[in-house]
Amino acid sequence: MTAPPAARLLHRHLHGRWPAVRRLAAWSALESLPAFASGLLLARAVDQGFLAGRPLIGLGWLGALAVLYVAGAVGTGRIYPWLAATVEPLRDSLVKEVVTASLDRMADRAPGAGGAGVSQVTEQAEAVRVLLGTALRNVRQLLSAGVAALLGLALLSPPLALVICLSVALALAVFAACVGLQIRRYRAVVREAERIGESAAAVVGGVRDVVACAAEDRAARAVGEVIDAQAAALRAYARTRLVRLPVLALGVHVPLIALLLLSPYLTEQHGLTPGQIAGAAGYLVAGLQPGITVLVDAGGTLLLSLAVILGRLAETCAGPATDFPVPAAAPAVAASFDIEAEGVTFAYSPHADPVLRDLSLRVPEGTHLAVVGPSGAGKSTLANLLTGLLPPQRGSVTLGGVPLPRLGQERLRSAVALIPQESYVFAATLRENLAYLRPGATTAQLDETVRAVGLTETVERLGGYDAGIPPGGGDLSHGERQLITLARAHLSPAPVIVLDEATSHLHPAAEARAERALAARGRTLIVIAHRMTSAERAGKVLLLDGPTPLLGTHETLQARSRLYADLVGHWHT
Amino acid sequence: MVRTPTEPGAAGGLDGTGGAPEAAPADGPGPLPGGPAASAALRAAGRRRLREAMRRFRLRMCALAVLTAVRVAATLATPVMLAGAVDAARTQEGLGTATARLALVLALAALADAGEDVLGAYCGSDITAWLRHRLLGRVLALGTQGRHRFPTGDVLSRLTESASGPAAFPVLLLTAAAALVTTAGALTALALIDWWLAVAFAAGIPPMIVALRVFVVQATEPFARYQRCQAAIATRLLDARQGIRTIRASGTAAAEVRRILEPLPDLRRAGHETWAAQGRVSRRLALLAPLTQVLVVGTAGIRLATGDITTGQLVASVAYAAMATASASLFDTFVALLNCQVGAGRVDEVLAAAPAVRPPARPVPLPDGPGRLRLKGVTVRIGGRAVLDGLDLDVPPGATVAVVGASGTGKSVLVSTVGRLLDPDEGVVELDGVPVTAVPLPQVRRAVAYAFERPALLGATVHDTIAYARPESTRGEVRDAARTAAADGFIRALPDGYDTPLTDAPLSGGELQRLGLARAALTRARIVVLDDATSSLDTATELKVTRALQRILAGRTSLVVARRPATAARADLVAWLDAGRVRALAAHADLWPDPAYRAVFSASAAGAAAGA
Repeated sequence: MTAPPAARLLHRHLHGRWPAVRRLAAWSALESLPAFASGLLLARAVDQGFLAGRPLIGLGWLGALAVLYVAGAVGTGRIYPWLAATVEPLRDSLVKEVVTASLDRMADRAPGAGGAGVSQVTEQAEAVRVLLGTALRNVRQLLSAGVAALLGLALLSPPLALVICLSVALALAVFAACVGLQIRRYRAVVREAERIGESAAAVVGGVRDVVACAAEDRAARAVGEVIDAQAAALRAYARTRLVRLPVLALGVHVPLIALLLLSPYLTEQHGLTPGQIAGAAGYLVAGLQPGITVLVDAGGTLLLSLAVILGRLAETCAGPATDFPVPAAAPAVAASFDIEAEGVTFAYSPHADPVLRDLSLRVPEGTHLAVVGPSGAGKSTLANLLTGLLPPQRGSVTLGGVPLPRLGQERLRSAVALIPQESYVFAATLRENLAYLRPGATTAQLDETVRAVGLTETVERLGGYDAGIPPGGGDLSHGERQLITLARAHLSPAPVIVLDEATSHLHPAAEARAERALAARGRTLIVIAHRMTSAERAGKVLLLDGPTPLLGTHETLQARSRLYADLVGHWHT
Repeated sequence: MVRTPTEPGAAGGLDGTGGAPEAAPADGPGPLPGGPAASAALRAAGRRRLREAMRRFRLRMCALAVLTAVRVAATLATPVMLAGAVDAARTQEGLGTATARLALVLALAALADAGEDVLGAYCGSDITAWLRHRLLGRVLALGTQGRHRFPTGDVLSRLTESASGPAAFPVLLLTAAAALVTTAGALTALALIDWWLAVAFAAGIPPMIVALRVFVVQATEPFARYQRCQAAIATRLLDARQGIRTIRASGTAAAEVRRILEPLPDLRRAGHETWAAQGRVSRRLALLAPLTQVLVVGTAGIRLATGDITTGQLVASVAYAAMATASASLFDTFVALLNCQVGAGRVDEVLAAAPAVRPPARPVPLPDGPGRLRLKGVTVRIGGRAVLDGLDLDVPPGATVAVVGASGTGKSVLVSTVGRLLDPDEGVVELDGVPVTAVPLPQVRRAVAYAFERPALLGATVHDTIAYARPESTRGEVRDAARTAAADGFIRALPDGYDTPLTDAPLSGGELQRLGLARAALTRARIVVLDDATSSLDTATELKVTRALQRILAGRTSLVVARRPATAARADLVAWLDAGRVRALAAHADLWPDPAYRAVFSASAAGAAAGA
């Protein structure tokens, strides 16, 4: 059941909003004043005025009701600022939490796959605002009118109110008994709807392959099954809404019939007047009925949507963080920036073949190392292990003799910079993008870096460092994006730089310039190579292919490895 | 008794779509591209499609209409019965009968209402499922050509959101009709009780309309601004998702959160303004609607005092006045009906597009053969330009032909015509002596296997995706195919090997390409087409894949779209495309001395770099 975490989430984010909620409730009481007084005043107007032959007195009572309506309208108007003061900060803190949580939770293993929900979290936070707003605005209004009507009824005729309250309580109990089933069915509807999107995405995105495989029927059937399952879920949910039948009957119809059937007895024993009968009927028809109806119709759906969406957000916020657990002991200080992997084994799951097996590697400070090998040989996995983004299953990776997890996130991240193939350029100024890893960089430092990596033209084209970059990077080419991320690495004070195919979109000449600029800074540079030319430039080369990795130089590996010689030959044909 | 829709009339607002969260502004600010004329055409097409749906489900629609009619009649009769019962309670005469009548109409209204709700949901789910099945079928029939007009995200939004809108159509339509009838009926009933009551009610209507109109004008701008800010946050989060590896490796998550949330203050400001606008209209409506009712009741009271009506009739007039004011919610119903039409219209746009290829009128079975391929006078026009212009090509059985040419010379278009992913506008493609357009489509596609640069991950697992063209394959066959494509090794390193769900498979571009090659290797096609299946691989992987290819292509006719000279050099023949035709069909070594031929490769390399 997701209801408890959902409720906890809501409660946490309403924290500090209670004063606003209390004011909301106070104005709400004023708002429902006319609903409370309407039957009483109507009864007086009829009994003392219209039926007593004194229409002016009747109109006087109705005039009093009109005054109350004006006061109620003032209440309605005053509710909105407090409604905003409840709902808007709630949305703010919810958006903050889900954005933070989804950044912590996103894994980089399969970007694009499985994480489709991440982009929806802001929409879901928004849905909570809309639903809660509707609940506080409309549902609250009608429910409080219903309660006010019951209170008015109690003043009008206590014995009648007792009978009616019992029936209404029974109706509410029936409704409450069915809410659990409704929530389950409604959640199934939402889940199936999401599955339609997922299953169709593969087929529609791969329509060329589907057609080329002559598998249109099969693809249509696979998605069609989900479509039909969602329709069935919708129907199953619709059936649970039949509960409105007993709820409306017990909540409104039985009280009305009871009022009429009991009226001879009440008139005789308790002196119920015709005006009071009219007033009580008015309470039931104009006050109680809309309240019960909205509870069953909108309240149900609203409550369900809110519960389901809050449940999903709670899942997002409670998801496992992908970073290392924070070490219990105080972070250790690395003595040097030598990186050493010892007996490192990594597999994606216990029953899968390891991607890397028993790998040992020492990269002394200042080394320029190229890692080559076919894709699938574990090059990116090695980059993740060396930068502490993945923990090895066996063996350890140390920086200056200290295991990476013991360094603590902050020290580790400032010592080792990783530039991945998929370049991250974000909506901000070019300066902020370039200084990402060195926030306080001066213009002179930027100039030097831009010149060194070969980004001058781009900076000029964009119109200087303070030019804004639109979301998604705008019209920057893939090559320019990669140059920006390489400039970041160049500016970064980190003593160890790891490039994971970070030059794949550059011309060979541009790649050479950027790599040389990075190597010239004398820090450790580990290049996961896209082209063999990266290996030719490096002082040391690690060849990853199959069980035994080979470490050597460009020259020695050509002599020692047939594959390496082939690769070099292949590139130059 | 008035059925209160999810949005009660007194506080009806623009944004109140009941329980459903608002649709996100997926495609930018303007609701519909192309202005009012285009949106009117879209709605007209949507109406046609909805009429078709109603015809298809006419029995259920009729039953639904009957239920609605019963509910409206019972609802309108209720105050009369209530009046009779209240009067009977006062006079103590015939109270039992009057109460029984009231109970009967109440029960009828409630039963009809519940039946309407369930049947309406059944109808709606049928309509949506029907639209979705047809939409999906048409997208598959549109094939590769459809993707230019309807990109994946666009199709998905039509399939999930646009198609789900019309589910509410049957209920909304009848709700609107019922509300109109109820309002008219309530007004008539007021007039029948006493025509002064109707006059009193009518006095309250114009101010209510003014209040609603003012709201629409005032609230539009903050609502639009709110959606823009919201979209800005979503876009920034999406950006960060693309760069999550950088963010994690740089330890900058906290700074990123601050950056993503930058538009939040603006969002809050716009949000407060929308609430303020709603507050103003609610205050007015909260005043106007009850005051109108008080006006009616006051009038009724005076008529009661003069003896023109009874107490029961006064109670009835209260109920009828409430019924008539509830029609303010019709505003929301009409907005929702417009949305249904827009949704159906967006589905219709896809359904109205012509499929890429048509099945043959008189199919001829494909004869057995060695895989001889002949293109005669093939012309393909795309966007008014003849990409292929009377092209002739004769591929000997069993040969590997590399297709080369500068970018934009129609290499992919050429190979698409072979397996009928696309039909030429003029000319014939013959496979073993038979025009491919005469052969049943599945036979053609089984005879021609494709491998692409980025194969789509279809099916549930890695095994499924390799066996997609031949689902009956055994595990052994799939594994052999994977071995041939040098994919067995990395597949076994996946969390569950061949049974790894595709969503959990961390695949690089090179691994993906090898899955595509394995898929082609598994088929028994006589023609294999490799459309850029080895481009943009790193050097080491390309070497591995090239070796796999030689095993797959052995003994079959193949067309290989090539960008690198090394790939062309390994083919038996090179078909050099230029200006829509084959400029030369010869061995790579014979063509290489021609500087114009060499320029093709440097141009495509430069093009790739420039486009990068």
